[in-house]
Amino acid sequence: MLRGSHGPISFGVRFEKFRACHIIVVAVDPSGGEHLAYQLIMAKSAALEAVALPGDGEPWTGLARRNMASTQGAHDFDGATTNRGVSNRKRGNESLTEGHVPASMDPALQARARHELPTYDVWKSNHKSKLWVLAIMTMVVAMVVLAFVRPPARGGDGRPAGFQTQSAQRVSIGLKLAPANLDIRNQSGSSLDQVLIGNVYEGIVARDSNNKVVPALAKSWVVSNDALRYTFTMNTGMTFSNGDRLNAEDAAWSVNELVKRGYHDAQLLKHFESAKALDNSTLQIVLTAPYSDLLWVLTGRPGLVFDRHARYDMKTQAIGSGPYTVERFVPNSSLTLVANSRYRGPYRAKTASIVLHYYNDDNAAINALKSGDIQVLAPITQSLSGPFDRDSTNYDVKVGEGTDKFVLAMNCKGSKTSDVRIREAIRMAIDHKAIVASRGGVDRLMGGPIAPLDPGYEDLGARVSHTDVRRAAKLLKEAGYDRQNPLALRLEYANIYGTELGDQLRSQLREIGINLQVHVVEFSTWMQDVYTNKNYDLSLVDHNESHDFSQWADRGYYYNYDNPEVRNLYDQAMSATTEARKSELLQRAARVVSSDSPADWLFNYRITTVMRSGVSGFPINMNQALMPLWNVTFTHE
Amino acid sequence: MRFVLQRLALFVVTLLGVSVLVFAALRVLPGDMAQLMAGMNSTPGRVASIRKSMGLDRPVFEQYTGWLWGLMHGDFGMSMLTGRAIAATVKTRASVTFPLIALGLLAAMVIGLVFGYEATMSHRPAVRVMFHLLALVGGAIPALWGGLLLILLFSKGMGIIGLFPSQGFPASGWRQPVQALSSLALPALTVGIIDGATLMRYTRSALTELLSSDVIAMTMASGYTRRQAMVRVGFRLALPQLVSVTGLLFASMVTGVMVIENLFALPGIGYGLVTDLGNRDLIAVQSELFMLAAFFLFVGFIVDVIHRLLDPRMRHPEQEG
Repeated sequence: MLRGSHGPISFGVRFEKFRACHIIVVAVDPSGGEHLAYQLIMAKSAALEAVALPGDGEPWTGLARRNMASTQGAHDFDGATTNRGVSNRKRGNESLTEGHVPASMDPALQARARHELPTYDVWKSNHKSKLWVLAIMTMVVAMVVLAFVRPPARGGDGRPAGFQTQSAQRVSIGLKLAPANLDIRNQSGSSLDQVLIGNVYEGIVARDSNNKVVPALAKSWVVSNDALRYTFTMNTGMTFSNGDRLNAEDAAWSVNELVKRGYHDAQLLKHFESAKALDNSTLQIVLTAPYSDLLWVLTGRPGLVFDRHARYDMKTQAIGSGPYTVERFVPNSSLTLVANSRYRGPYRAKTASIVLHYYNDDNAAINALKSGDIQVLAPITQSLSGPFDRDSTNYDVKVGEGTDKFVLAMNCKGSKTSDVRIREAIRMAIDHKAIVASRGGVDRLMGGPIAPLDPGYEDLGARVSHTDVRRAAKLLKEAGYDRQNPLALRLEYANIYGTELGDQLRSQLREIGINLQVHVVEFSTWMQDVYTNKNYDLSLVDHNESHDFSQWADRGYYYNYDNPEVRNLYDQAMSATTEARKSELLQRAARVVSSDSPADWLFNYRITTVMRSGVSGFPINMNQALMPLWNVTFTHE
Repeated sequence: MRFVLQRLALFVVTLLGVSVLVFAALRVLPGDMAQLMAGMNSTPGRVASIRKSMGLDRPVFEQYTGWLWGLMHGDFGMSMLTGRAIAATVKTRASVTFPLIALGLLAAMVIGLVFGYEATMSHRPAVRVMFHLLALVGGAIPALWGGLLLILLFSKGMGIIGLFPSQGFPASGWRQPVQALSSLALPALTVGIIDGATLMRYTRSALTELLSSDVIAMTMASGYTRRQAMVRVGFRLALPQLVSVTGLLFASMVTGVMVIENLFALPGIGYGLVTDLGNRDLIAVQSELFMLAAFFLFVGFIVDVIHRLLDPRMRHPEQEG
């Protein structure tokens, strides 16, 4: 009956107000009927004990204090049977605030309640409560401190910003694909080339931003008339980052080791016979047959020069001759480059330290750019770059050329895709413009296997710029399929390319009667199913390699494409002695490949890079394949 | 003591089972690490030589026993891919994950215990319902979405109130303690809110049960207020149950924060495991999974022991009748 009447008892003490009444609540709780007698006894005995409280001047003990509290409850309970209890109830909650309501009819106890009962103090009464309160307060204070008392805003160099325009000592760059280790001789993946070539390791020759061969460790070269002998004159006074001298002996040793041990990309060094140092500054490479791609191949891994005397774990360390050295490498996460103090070449690092951060997630990368954790993001998904494009005072958005080809391979020996009519129908049914538009509109239509910046490129985009669903449907009908009797095909591709492309292709091909089952798998699974076992109908890959036409002349490649004319043209191009002749032959070969439709080239992916205003010298073209950083600076207010 | 020995024996047997399971599961996964390392455009000869150099051409049983032998000697092996000792890599990753879990658990406990307590003790039905709803909503929030929301609210650069960094961990780790801690703030809060809601529900049900028990009545009869009775006695009695829940929560967080680590780009254990699996770094993945399993079992073991220490009834079950 008294349930909920918490009001009547008050000692004018903050923490005590519910104490006594709860005993009443429990005591009269109908659900605990069998306990009622027990509760009553407890309450009563507490009251009795309270009567035997120590007198004035005697020390209060915890027990005594608790008993006192019980006393109040007991008395209240007693009172509940009296008129006072009723009157208290009538007063309700008002009495809570008043703090002067007699707790007992017993004058002695009342007096104690008013004057002698010490204020219940959470700080003094209980050690545990104290700890709890302290802990919570400390945490709140810590959070407030963390939130508001932050270190002053700093520039990328770690010095307080905002005084004057200055060049940062550190620039942070956000990238996407991370290397798992630094072993550039064994580990595949363009992410290693991107970071290490031109920054940490240098090649005999290098590539400029238009994919043309330029001098690097060799300052000049001469090719014999029969195109079998390449003689390079090396720079002098070069050293590795460990202090060892670099000369033609190191270059010859590096190339010979590559071939001997079959390191990564060794197969690119075709018709190789030998490499030898004629003297400290002259390197000669001898071929058994002309190979027009040799110089270009030497700009990549096969041309890198390693220290033949150094012994180190190439997976975790890198000793090269480039403008930077690796200071710290956290696999799949970040890589810190610092300027190589021993570097004496023309590409001396302009920024003391460059930190590369790897982000799997596009949103994570954008957050990092916006919050100033990184100053450059390459690449950014074009469709997400809008806000940066509009904020031109703070950001520069640049689109660069690349050799990335999004290839929709159609298994030329597949049970269904071996029929060229089906392959052509697919090419005709795909709305390439819509795909490019949905990605932000900067990618380029291709129509053929060679990308701009590569020899033999010609714009075959017109070949795929018109979507002809009716003709495609007709071709498919000739092959025996239509919308009533759809052709079931399986598209398998790696999850790094997202799901949108698969969805778009599925809905576009449905129009002509192709039921496309899209399987987005891990890259390793793709490698096994498609690349190694060639067990697929359709596959989608971003072939970002440059000078990679050999794929179409290789019968064993996963495309299963074989055309003797193409092979012949490619072979001729590779033994051509002039660039013009080579380009012309490759162009012809590309046209043949395109007309055979062993694949559809969805688009040439162009890389969008976002930089904070003040960043300069960052490469825009092909920066996912090669990213020389020596020229990068960040000037901020 | 007998109990501890029994549990230890079970621990070892389970670990052995785990090692077989993990090893076998990874061998049937599609994908070949040697092929991945050699990359596209590589020759079959090159793939074969990489496979040989990694020992992948040895019989499977030999590979297993070799690995197990190493484990018995505390050698978790070297990653075939990164060339680093797996134990050291896991240690580096743990230096991100465990502080994250500790902070997340702290946030979860503050939220779960305080709100759970209020949800039980409040006299206003509206307040109780509100807390109940909070627990339901909190528990239903997907971690990814909750994290994104916090980023939009509190991250530097993107957030409405820019307080904490939303991405990454300082390259030099805990040598920059302020930056390291602040980069864990948002992820920990995300974890805390979601797991706090779970803990809140447990706290609420444990306390509600106690509230109607004789114990609280007895305590209050001794002079405590309802709240004091609950805080001093009730919580103590609910402790074994809450310790179990918190222990399990802690263990599940080790892999549970995987999504959070990916969202906030934190190089922790979960993030690393996903990457290693993607790279088919078999020895690394199997050792990491083994360590995780051992850790789960160990936490379970510790929770059981603590449980018995906290609750004397469990020590002598036969006497309880």
